Amino acid sequence: MATFDSAAFAEHGAAWATTRDTGERAARLRAAGRWLWSAGLMLILAFLVLYPVAMLLLGALTNTNPVVDGFGVFDLSPANFVTVLSNPNVHLALANSLIACGGGTALAVLIGLTFSWVVVRTDTPCKRFIAAASLIPLFVPPLVAAVAWAILASPKTGLLNSVLAGIGFNWRLNVYSMAGLIAIFGIYYAPYVYMFTAAALRNMDPALEEAAEISGASAFKTLITVTFPLIAPAIISGMLLSFIVMLGIYGIPAVLGTPGDVPVLTTYIFKLTAWTPPLYSTAAAVALILMVVTGLLVWLQQIVVSRRSYTTVAGKAFRPAVLRLGRWRYFTLGLAVAYLLIVVVLPTLALIVAAFRKFMFIRNLQSLFDTRQYSLIHFERLFDNPLVLRSIVNTMEVGLITALVGGVLAFAIGYTVNRTRLSGRRTIDVISTLPVAIPGLVVGVAYLWAWIGLPGGLYGTIWILALAFIARFMPDTVKALSTSLMQIHRELEEAAWICGRGLLATIRTVVLPLVRPGVIAAMTLLFILAIRELGSSLFLYTSNTMVMAVLLLDYYEGGNIGITAAFSLVQTVLLAVLIGLAHWLSRGGTNSGVGQAG
Amino acid sequence: MTDFRISRRQFATGAAAGGAAAALGLKPAEAQNFGGAELIEAAKKEGKLIYYTANFTEVEQETIRAFNKRFPFVRIELVRAPGGQLITRVRTEAAAGKLTADVIDHSDRALMQPLEDLFQDYAPPNAAAYREDVLISKKLWPRITVGWAIAYNAELVKNPPKSWMDLTKPEYGPKLIGQVIAPSGGTTWTRVMFERQVLGEDYHKKQAATQPVLYPSGAPLSDALVRGEVSIAPLLYNICYVKKRDGAPVEIFFPPEGVPVNFFASGVTKTAANPNAGRLWLNWCMSDEGQAFMIKEQGNLTALKTPPVYPPGWDPKAVKVWAPDFQQYVALQKQWIEEWNKTYGYRQ
Repeated sequence: MATFDSAAFAEHGAAWATTRDTGERAARLRAAGRWLWSAGLMLILAFLVLYPVAMLLLGALTNTNPVVDGFGVFDLSPANFVTVLSNPNVHLALANSLIACGGGTALAVLIGLTFSWVVVRTDTPCKRFIAAASLIPLFVPPLVAAVAWAILASPKTGLLNSVLAGIGFNWRLNVYSMAGLIAIFGIYYAPYVYMFTAAALRNMDPALEEAAEISGASAFKTLITVTFPLIAPAIISGMLLSFIVMLGIYGIPAVLGTPGDVPVLTTYIFKLTAWTPPLYSTAAAVALILMVVTGLLVWLQQIVVSRRSYTTVAGKAFRPAVLRLGRWRYFTLGLAVAYLLIVVVLPTLALIVAAFRKFMFIRNLQSLFDTRQYSLIHFERLFDNPLVLRSIVNTMEVGLITALVGGVLAFAIGYTVNRTRLSGRRTIDVISTLPVAIPGLVVGVAYLWAWIGLPGGLYGTIWILALAFIARFMPDTVKALSTSLMQIHRELEEAAWICGRGLLATIRTVVLPLVRPGVIAAMTLLFILAIRELGSSLFLYTSNTMVMAVLLLDYYEGGNIGITAAFSLVQTVLLAVLIGLAHWLSRGGTNSGVGQAG
Repeated sequence: MTDFRISRRQFATGAAAGGAAAALGLKPAEAQNFGGAELIEAAKKEGKLIYYTANFTEVEQETIRAFNKRFPFVRIELVRAPGGQLITRVRTEAAAGKLTADVIDHSDRALMQPLEDLFQDYAPPNAAAYREDVLISKKLWPRITVGWAIAYNAELVKNPPKSWMDLTKPEYGPKLIGQVIAPSGGTTWTRVMFERQVLGEDYHKKQAATQPVLYPSGAPLSDALVRGEVSIAPLLYNICYVKKRDGAPVEIFFPPEGVPVNFFASGVTKTAANPNAGRLWLNWCMSDEGQAFMIKEQGNLTALKTPPVYPPGWDPKAVKVWAPDFQQYVALQKQWIEEWNKTYGYRQ
């Protein structure tokens, strides 16, 4: 029996106590670090989101401009809400918004899901081409898409209707209608669904599908009962995002809904800000109602997604199964070509015609091909304006800042919400989702009210625009990243921790490489959204910081469809080049068919 | 209500001035009064100005180019926004002490008058040549004057209307006429006042019976007219004039019952960082040379007592200019616009 060595025990005890103290100190430090991390994120979100939303609420509860009238003179009253809620025109606009966006979303899901499946899981020819074509509508500003379709399918003067008349058909397309709104929303917002679902299909372990096929299920039954349910979070996220983005779009309903007398909430809000005198407080009240509706949808989505586990990317290598379609692959290719024709070729042709034609009066089909009617005059006038070049440079600058800073912030938020158990992460999630519900036109005023008084000269710089875009599109970016983050199995991070890696090293060496396609996709999305964003730019740009979207609206409001189309083409080409560059940079990750952990 | 019929004497003077107008551009700066050599030198030192306007960018760029031919050393940085949004921006920037504009130009005098205190004392060298009755403040000047006309697509309309009253005829309906909504801004409100005060209390009811297509502002309506979406439209002359000038299939005429005109309000801000450049810009715009340019090239009218030139199609013997009484312009706006909305079924 060993004798009791009190000295050794004391020494051991002291060492143990020291280790314990060190461990406790380290634990305390880690806890403090976690607390600081959460607090830091909340502080950033408070500045970017809560403070402007509070200004919006203040505006909605008063009839004053908080900056002009000061903070001490408010006569708070729910009068604006009462007025808005009892106004039958608001009820009509709300109903129209829900029908147009609901119908548009259903169509977007049908198109987006079909093409993501065709591209990722079938042997359809020319898949890279189809994949690129499926994303092109994303580059097109809504205002431009609507103008192009008004040129194509206006009931009186649409080019397609001229063709129909020319070949003896009596039936006419009418894009100035609810059906027209739904169709244009659906085809132009399908890429949102495509982006989410294509990434999920690409990253999905095919074992369950193989099991279904072994059990005798047909390819179609496997698709409906196994594949699509497995990527449900991606479908729901894409669906929700496209619905919410449609809800906030002004350009399409303004151009197509106004002549067809189909008012929606955004056109109503714009009217409130453009009337003489402008009614911003009423607009803020309408915007807050829109926020409540959207907030409910986001909450619903979170309930649906949180009920099940959708982890499909684990530590096992795999390659998604490719379905051999036989002769049907030419049918799927045909679908893709038809989509490309409807969404890219025809509108682009319409824009080219408008940009090069002196005037858009087209008497009949023959006059469309009268070369004397075409010239470069709109491009000459466009580039004669020094603001054009400046707006292009500013837009690129603000787009890059937004994508980089916003991408980092969105990753920090997405990781905190989805991959940690930090206190406050639910609050961070909710706050970061709030801006999705605020229409850009109104949020622009909120940012102006909130940030113009800040010391440090933020107002009048590119940074105020970038911050507004980061805040405004944070939900889109976080949700886009969350889908990728949710699919990574915890075992991969745990393996890194067991190997002695710290949290940051694990993120750098394990998580980031795995979600690289998602991060690049999210940053690209942010870049595109920033470049197209109009509403929140309107109040924040100054003479030095004019951006393309504002100048494009100026041209449209100036009633010159030719210059508007010319500028739209320039913008589209610029975007296509930049997106191509981003795609080239990320090609290793996005095209890999091997499971991400492999 | 004021009826400003152009007198024969005014016409004769105007015609003579019009003949001389072509030579105006050739005169050296010293020969015209743009504010004197001292102001020009001070503006040269400042080198730039920041200019806020509710007018269209493309039109303003043309004017800036013409100004820069005369004064190439002043770079003008433009901020353009629709009327209501521009006022919100100005008020907010001013309250935060960050008003960056040197010059502000707006189409709605009723919105500008309450902001008078933001502007410094300013009068152009030829102030006495302007009509006193259109001034709402000694700090704000009618840099731009625009007038309403009727335009039609000449390819589509074979029997064009000849007057405002013709626009109430059933043969021009349904959905052949385009109308800008009354709450769109000061210029449309001026036309609405004219229609009710001159053409009769029931004019709107009769006109609305033709089921016109409503547009949020004049520019998209002018585009719709050129494309043939609508065939006929009351429009500001300057919006259509540039399209016709460039060869679009549109015809424009000034109706015999009268031409409602709207005067912009422009001034130099108290906080201007480039006040001399701002003054020089306004001095040039208000000068005969500037006004002649805007009339000839852009189809504007003028508030000068003696117009240096008339826009094409303007017969001073026949055209009756109508300007609203400013008190009524402010007092009647809310109620009459609400009534217009109801009559035309416009949802507000």
